[in-house]
Amino acid sequence: MKKVTSENVQELLNRYMEGENTQEELRLLKEYFGNNKDLPANLRPYAQMFGVLDKKPKTPSVEALNRFAEAPQSARRHIPLWPLLAAACLAAFAVIFLTPPKEEENMAIAYVDGKTLNNEAMAMQMGQEALQEIFSNGNEEEQLTDLFNEK
Amino acid sequence: MNRTITTILVMLCVSLCAFAQKGLRINDVFEGKVILKSKMQESLIKGDNLASYNLKVLHTVKFTTPFKLRREEVEKLFYEDMENRLSDDDENMELETRNGHLYYAIVQLSDTEKGAHRYICYQCRDKSGDYDITLVYMEGKASLADLRRTFKKK
Repeated sequence: MKKVTSENVQELLNRYMEGENTQEELRLLKEYFGNNKDLPANLRPYAQMFGVLDKKPKTPSVEALNRFAEAPQSARRHIPLWPLLAAACLAAFAVIFLTPPKEEENMAIAYVDGKTLNNEAMAMQMGQEALQEIFSNGNEEEQLTDLFNEK
Repeated sequence: MNRTITTILVMLCVSLCAFAQKGLRINDVFEGKVILKSKMQESLIKGDNLASYNLKVLHTVKFTTPFKLRREEVEKLFYEDMENRLSDDDENMELETRNGHLYYAIVQLSDTEKGAHRYICYQCRDKSGDYDITLVYMEGKASLADLRRTFKKK
C-alpha cells in the first residue's frame, strides 16, 4: 500500500482496531491523519488519537538524570526509628519521675479478719507489735518464756 | 539495634525499681498465695507515718497455721530471699534456728536503686502444734542498729 485515501482509510482503521496493521500501514495512517485538515466528522476523533500517539513522551535530560543519581542518600525520605524511641523513653521517665507522688505514698492500712480497715492507728500498732516481737528475740527473758511455752 | 536494646533494658530496670518488694519470693505470702488473706492479719504503712523510724515502707503479716507444710513453704521462700542478703555479718543479719527450722531471722537485703535499705524478718513460734508466723518487709534509711534500738524490748 502506497497511500491512504478516503476510500481505503476505513479498511485500514478496521485493521488497526484489530491490531493487524503493518508498521508501514501504521506510519501511513499517522501521516494521513496528521496532514489531512479536511477530514469528515466521523474521522476527526481518529486524528486526535493518532496525534496523541505520535507525540513522543518527554524524557529527562542527561543532566537531570545525573543530578538525580548524585543526590546524597540523606536527602532520601527516611523515617529514623531512634528519635521516636528516645522520645518514648523521655516520656516514660517524665511520667515516672515528674509525676507528683500519689496519695498512695502515704498510707496505713490494716487487714484483719478478711476486712480492709483504713485505720491508721491500728495499722501502726500491728506493725510496731510485729517488729517488737521479732526484734526482742535476742531478749533472754523473752526466749526463756518462749522455750517454756513450747510443747 | 544496640540502642534499642539498651533503651528497653533501662526502662525495665526503672519499672522493677518502682516495685522493689515485688522481686521478693516472700511476696507470695504477702499476696495471700500461701495462706488466704482472710486468715492473716496484715498491716501496710507507707510514707510520713514512718518518718520517726526513718522508714518508708513497713509491711507485716501474721498468721497461725497448724500445717507443717505451710511453715516449710514460708521458710523456704524466706531462705530463697536471703540469697540477696547484704552480708553474713552480725551487723546485717540476725538468725536463730531451733529443731532444724528457722525460729527467727532479721536480714538486710541489698539496697534499692535509690539507696534505701531493705529488710526482711521472719519469726515462727511453735505453740502446741500451731505455728504463729510473722513476716515483715521494711524499707528506708534506718540501719539495723537503729531498728534494734527502737524496737527491742528492754
